[in-house]
Amino acid sequence: MKKILFLVTILFLSLSIFAQEEDKTKISGEFITDQRLLLDDDYPWVWNENRLSLQCDKKISGSSKFHSDVWFRNMGLPEFYSMSNLYNKTQIDPFNIEIREAYMQTSGFILKNLDFTVGRQFIGWGTADKINPTNNFDAYDFEDLLDFGRRRASDALKLTYYINNYFSVEGVLVPIYRPANLPVGIYSDALYQNFFQSDMLNIIALSDSLILPENKFKENFSSGVSFKGFLAGFDFSVSYVYGRDFLPQPQTVDIYPVDALGNAIIKTELYYPRNNIFGFDLAGEIKCVGVWTEISMVMPADDVILTSNLHTVNPMTYEPMIITADSIILEKNKLYFKYVVGADYSFNHGFYANIQYLHGFLHERGNEELNDYFFIRLDKSLFYDKLKISPVSGAFIISDYSDLENNYALVYYPEISYKPTDNFELILAATIMEGKGDNMFAHLKSFDTFIFKAKYHF
Amino acid sequence: MKTKILILTVLFFGVFSMTKAQTASEILDKADNVITTSDDITQNVEITLIDKNKNQQTRTAVLMQKGEDKRLFEFTSPSSYEGVSFLSLPDDVMYLYMPSYGKERRIASSVKNQKFAGTDMSYDDMAAKSYNDNYTPTIKSSDATSWVLELIPKTAGEYSKVLLTIRKIDYIPLKAEFFDKANNKIKVSEFEFAKQGNFWYVKTLTVKDLKTNHTTIMKSSDVKFNQGLSDDIFTVRNLTM
Repeated sequence: MKKILFLVTILFLSLSIFAQEEDKTKISGEFITDQRLLLDDDYPWVWNENRLSLQCDKKISGSSKFHSDVWFRNMGLPEFYSMSNLYNKTQIDPFNIEIREAYMQTSGFILKNLDFTVGRQFIGWGTADKINPTNNFDAYDFEDLLDFGRRRASDALKLTYYINNYFSVEGVLVPIYRPANLPVGIYSDALYQNFFQSDMLNIIALSDSLILPENKFKENFSSGVSFKGFLAGFDFSVSYVYGRDFLPQPQTVDIYPVDALGNAIIKTELYYPRNNIFGFDLAGEIKCVGVWTEISMVMPADDVILTSNLHTVNPMTYEPMIITADSIILEKNKLYFKYVVGADYSFNHGFYANIQYLHGFLHERGNEELNDYFFIRLDKSLFYDKLKISPVSGAFIISDYSDLENNYALVYYPEISYKPTDNFELILAATIMEGKGDNMFAHLKSFDTFIFKAKYHF
Repeated sequence: MKTKILILTVLFFGVFSMTKAQTASEILDKADNVITTSDDITQNVEITLIDKNKNQQTRTAVLMQKGEDKRLFEFTSPSSYEGVSFLSLPDDVMYLYMPSYGKERRIASSVKNQKFAGTDMSYDDMAAKSYNDNYTPTIKSSDATSWVLELIPKTAGEYSKVLLTIRKIDYIPLKAEFFDKANNKIKVSEFEFAKQGNFWYVKTLTVKDLKTNHTTIMKSSDVKFNQGLSDDIFTVRNLTM
């Protein structure tokens, strides 16, 4: 709490200092309310987010700028179970503050063609729509699973050298490791199930401990380099990143059977393995159709080995014993590929179509675990973009081609947005999910939701 | 008296011979030159959108252009559009930068004939392009004060043809009428030029979509010529600064 107050004080002091300077300090922002209820018998309220984002932009000189973006939020539903909770405002009215971005950028740093950016910033590598397998600096922000492309900015140093108008080289250093945050609310189990599910056991209690990288630069840092260019009508980039996985991988699992029926208590340790990631992306157009592809080739820096310890009793001596088995989840230096291929086209009369094929969702690892995702979106803009309807929007997921009937998911996400004025937008949407088998969206099939959002820019 | 008649006769035949001698391409070339007489231009633009019920919305932007084919257009209001930038470069290369997206995006051909930010102009209309490089002209008609050129696009696009009215005395474009592929007139632009020092500029541009009865009026102010705009302004790098 003190930390939050400190950050807020610093923020406002910065704003007031900039405001005192004579020109070009811009404060802008957005208010958004996002309310969701389940399409269930009683229509329970499942999401309440009221977010005020404040952006500060300051041109320090012709070639330098400061930018920040801070979210002030009421997030979540009230939780109070006793009189004592009523003394705690954060339980009655949950809120949080998040510094999304705060960085300085200088153009012509030392060299005329060199830009330097320091602070919390989105590195944003990749050209695909929302899902960028080559962006391995900005940690996943899974908080709202329906906004699955959302990332958290990196605390980074970035140097960009422009060779000319068409080619540039970018180097990034992120000194401190920051993992992904997991989904909240009704979506909180969506990824969790993937970590700990078992066909053999009925898990009655689960505990875990995370092994964080040691507090040393060598253990924490991520770095990478990217070469970007424009050739033959296509934007492309090739990149390399040495970094840690944003999501933890299980290292040890201790299984404590409690009876002969398969009920067990599980304790697990997880860690964040290192990877070498080679990336390539391409965007352009073929016959007036916008096309893009993005590929990441992930090479684990070490074997990712899961050690399973079954704590049982020796049937002969009745003494406790541990049966241990190791299994390699990811093999050192064995590449696996995650990729996106997409296309979009703007038709006459305001129709816009966007299709995308993704192999390997954000949380999937290893060649055997990567599922196929097909996304489609068809928008129709009316009345000079005041009204936009997306009647066909969603995804189809296949987790096992050999048994499609039992391993698929369908996501339908229609949306209508209306802008009464330029700065004000109202959105009505719904998510309807259906599926079977082992994939994230099939796990969410009981969470069909109705969504209402209102946004105001200022 | 004789002298006056002689002068008038010379002037008449001079103008007549001048107009007769010029090809459509030469006329269009001169019109292009009028539009881009200066090395560069910077101006504030107020954009008023008027729908068929006469409801109005206003946007403002800064427009910078260097030469014939480099243009940067950045919205300054309303806040939901502020910072949205459109960069057009030679060879039909266009980029759109949206602050909320955080990076630039190349505009695909299929998007270029879509309406730009709720206006009656398409992305293609907003790009810096010379008429002569993009159209094949023929003289459709001519009267004492103006020519009407029929412009056929050199590459297939949004329009099947454009009828461009050019004032004879100074080659100022006055009006452009746009036709779709079914040869229906779909849009009319009217130009009001003004002169500042030695340079002409479009003071007011009125574009009317005849199908929707929607109108866009762009008014320029604070116009500055030959400020020595650097090429660095018209780069993708600058969009993110």
